[in-house]
Amino acid sequence: MADFDESFQIEAHALAQVLDELDYFQILKVAQTASPAEVKGAYYRESRAYHPDRFFQLPDQELREAIGKIYKRINEAYVCLRDDVRRGKYAADVSGPERPKKLRFVEASEQELKKDKEQEIGVTPQGRKFFMAGLQDMAAQRFASAERNFKMALTYEPGNSNYKIKRDEAAKLVKPTDSLR
Amino acid sequence: MSDEIAIGIDLGTSYSCVSVLENGQPVVIPNEWGERTHASVVSFLEDGTVLVGNSAKRNIITNADNTVYSAKRLIGRFYFSDEVKKAQAVMPYRIIEGENNSVRIQVRESVYSLPEISALVLKEMKSIVESYVGHEVKKAVVTVPAYFNDNQRQATKDAGRVAGLEVLRILNEPTAAALSYGFGKDIAQKIAVYDLGGGTFDISILEIGKDVFEVLSTAGDTYLGGDDFDDRIMTWLAEDFLKKTGIDLRLNKYCLQMLKEASERAKIDVGRDGAAKITIEGVCQDPSGQVMDLNATLQEAEFNRMTMDLVQRTFKVCDEALQSARLTASDLDAVILVGGPTRLPIIRTSVKHYFQRDVMTGIDPDEVVAMGAAIQASSLMDSKGDHYLLDVTPLTLRVATVGGYTDKIIDKNTPIPIERSKSYTTNRDGQEKVKIKVYQGESNKASECELLGEFEFSGFRIAYRGEVRIEVTFEIDTNGIVNVTATDVETGQKTSCTIRLSSGLTEEMIQSARQKNAATTLARGAEAA
Repeated sequence: MADFDESFQIEAHALAQVLDELDYFQILKVAQTASPAEVKGAYYRESRAYHPDRFFQLPDQELREAIGKIYKRINEAYVCLRDDVRRGKYAADVSGPERPKKLRFVEASEQELKKDKEQEIGVTPQGRKFFMAGLQDMAAQRFASAERNFKMALTYEPGNSNYKIKRDEAAKLVKPTDSLR
Repeated sequence: MSDEIAIGIDLGTSYSCVSVLENGQPVVIPNEWGERTHASVVSFLEDGTVLVGNSAKRNIITNADNTVYSAKRLIGRFYFSDEVKKAQAVMPYRIIEGENNSVRIQVRESVYSLPEISALVLKEMKSIVESYVGHEVKKAVVTVPAYFNDNQRQATKDAGRVAGLEVLRILNEPTAAALSYGFGKDIAQKIAVYDLGGGTFDISILEIGKDVFEVLSTAGDTYLGGDDFDDRIMTWLAEDFLKKTGIDLRLNKYCLQMLKEASERAKIDVGRDGAAKITIEGVCQDPSGQVMDLNATLQEAEFNRMTMDLVQRTFKVCDEALQSARLTASDLDAVILVGGPTRLPIIRTSVKHYFQRDVMTGIDPDEVVAMGAAIQASSLMDSKGDHYLLDVTPLTLRVATVGGYTDKIIDKNTPIPIERSKSYTTNRDGQEKVKIKVYQGESNKASECELLGEFEFSGFRIAYRGEVRIEVTFEIDTNGIVNVTATDVETGQKTSCTIRLSSGLTEEMIQSARQKNAATTLARGAEAA
């Protein structure tokens, strides 16, 4: 049987305790700017560490339960972050003022997303694509790139007021050095 | 290291297979006649013993009333389901209604639940290994179609317990096959597992990265399998006979069994030889009492024509799986075929054409699933952590809302284990109970989904309506089995739960069934021809 030393046990119990205070990027131990491949790599890495099968024969039930709790959250994080649309909304949510309430992408977030999709994210596939890319740029503080993406989105849906708001927001945040390039 | 081993069992609709890990490699264990796969047929003999396997299969005709086959088509289903009605029309054994809309099989004076029938097949598998290794076996991984719902998984797990086995895991068949394929190979590939069994069809798309087996998506049809190919031949034979003689063989269950047996053989022959000569001597009597024979020849072209739509149906399911995985056929590195019917040239050619690549050779479609189960069983025993299965739930989990509609709780193809909570408030003053109906399926209409059960929560505070908030947590565990719990949000008190409607067995039923199973003697039949 694999050996789970004391430091691992302490770490696992501590992690299980603070799960509700961590966002999904922290759960998977990736940066908000991580590429999809990095998200997948992180998911595999965390699966190797916390997959319940590794602990199947462990007599310590408390530790097994802590591991189970952690692994379920790892899956939850992966489900959200592997999907561009969900990830875009989630990144914006946890970067905003309501962060403590938005750490888990729950039913309410899903509902909002559905509404967003219709009202804010746009109606054309291309418009949506650029808009979502823009949101991700914003979350990653790549404002110049965000502005470009929002502008592209607007070429597909010139009348979308939400696109305009975001474009202006991004434009304001672009640092002078960015615009000089 | 103790003697304790865990076995891998592929509990199939038509055939079952058992495997154990020996020196790090999965080995299929044959029975005393050298047979490596065993018909999932249970024949109740007059002396009270039970015959299971290929020798029992011959009793489908000679001891038709007391021989149960294709039980997997019925396991975990409600009595009112279409599959049960269909089975009642064609099966020679008696299918009756049990309590709570469950399905029971009546054999002579005894009544059996479906898990009890499957448990007899599992008992035979267990005993095959026990005579091989020379000591008792208590633990197993049992496989199920990936597309099995919660009721079917739970019932399969119950079957294991009734057979006196600790079921370490309910494992998805395509995942088991992928594990067997990628085990110890250190590969990085995206693969499709096309699994056409006797009664079910599954397609799973996996990404294998060294020691990690990630299921990207799975889709299936639990009403489509090799049996349906047999049915087409049967219909063709019966129609032809009707036209020639004016006698409809399908009206008699015994004639039907002979037709079925001949059709299955014809399917195998036509796949292997390109044509099948079908002869049933003494299939029936004409009105004057004259014994009649049935003679026919089935050509491959004819067979392909009559089954093409079934093959096409599997590709609709493949489309769905690829779409969910956000891949196209060209993104795949390999295609693995699982299940006896995939030996048919029509399947091989069509799969090759659909995926635009040759299928993997050197994989035994009848044994690969049991071998994967054995690998997983051994891995769970020693927790070496040499590979990880990241599997998904095949169906969307839903709860009933008003007006016959449902809300999504957990999407299909979500990695498991996973949990999600939903808040409820009371809607009447002084309300003592909250009822929640849970479904699995892809329609937002409750009537088009499979009902898992009706959960009734009580034991929370009694207050005015809207004042009590109950948080219900839906968990899908590593077996793909659903657990529902509820907590009073304010007090943190866990509420008690009663399942009001469920096709499953109670704890007492499992215990008594287990004793009955242990007391049953398995007959040793003669070697099948």
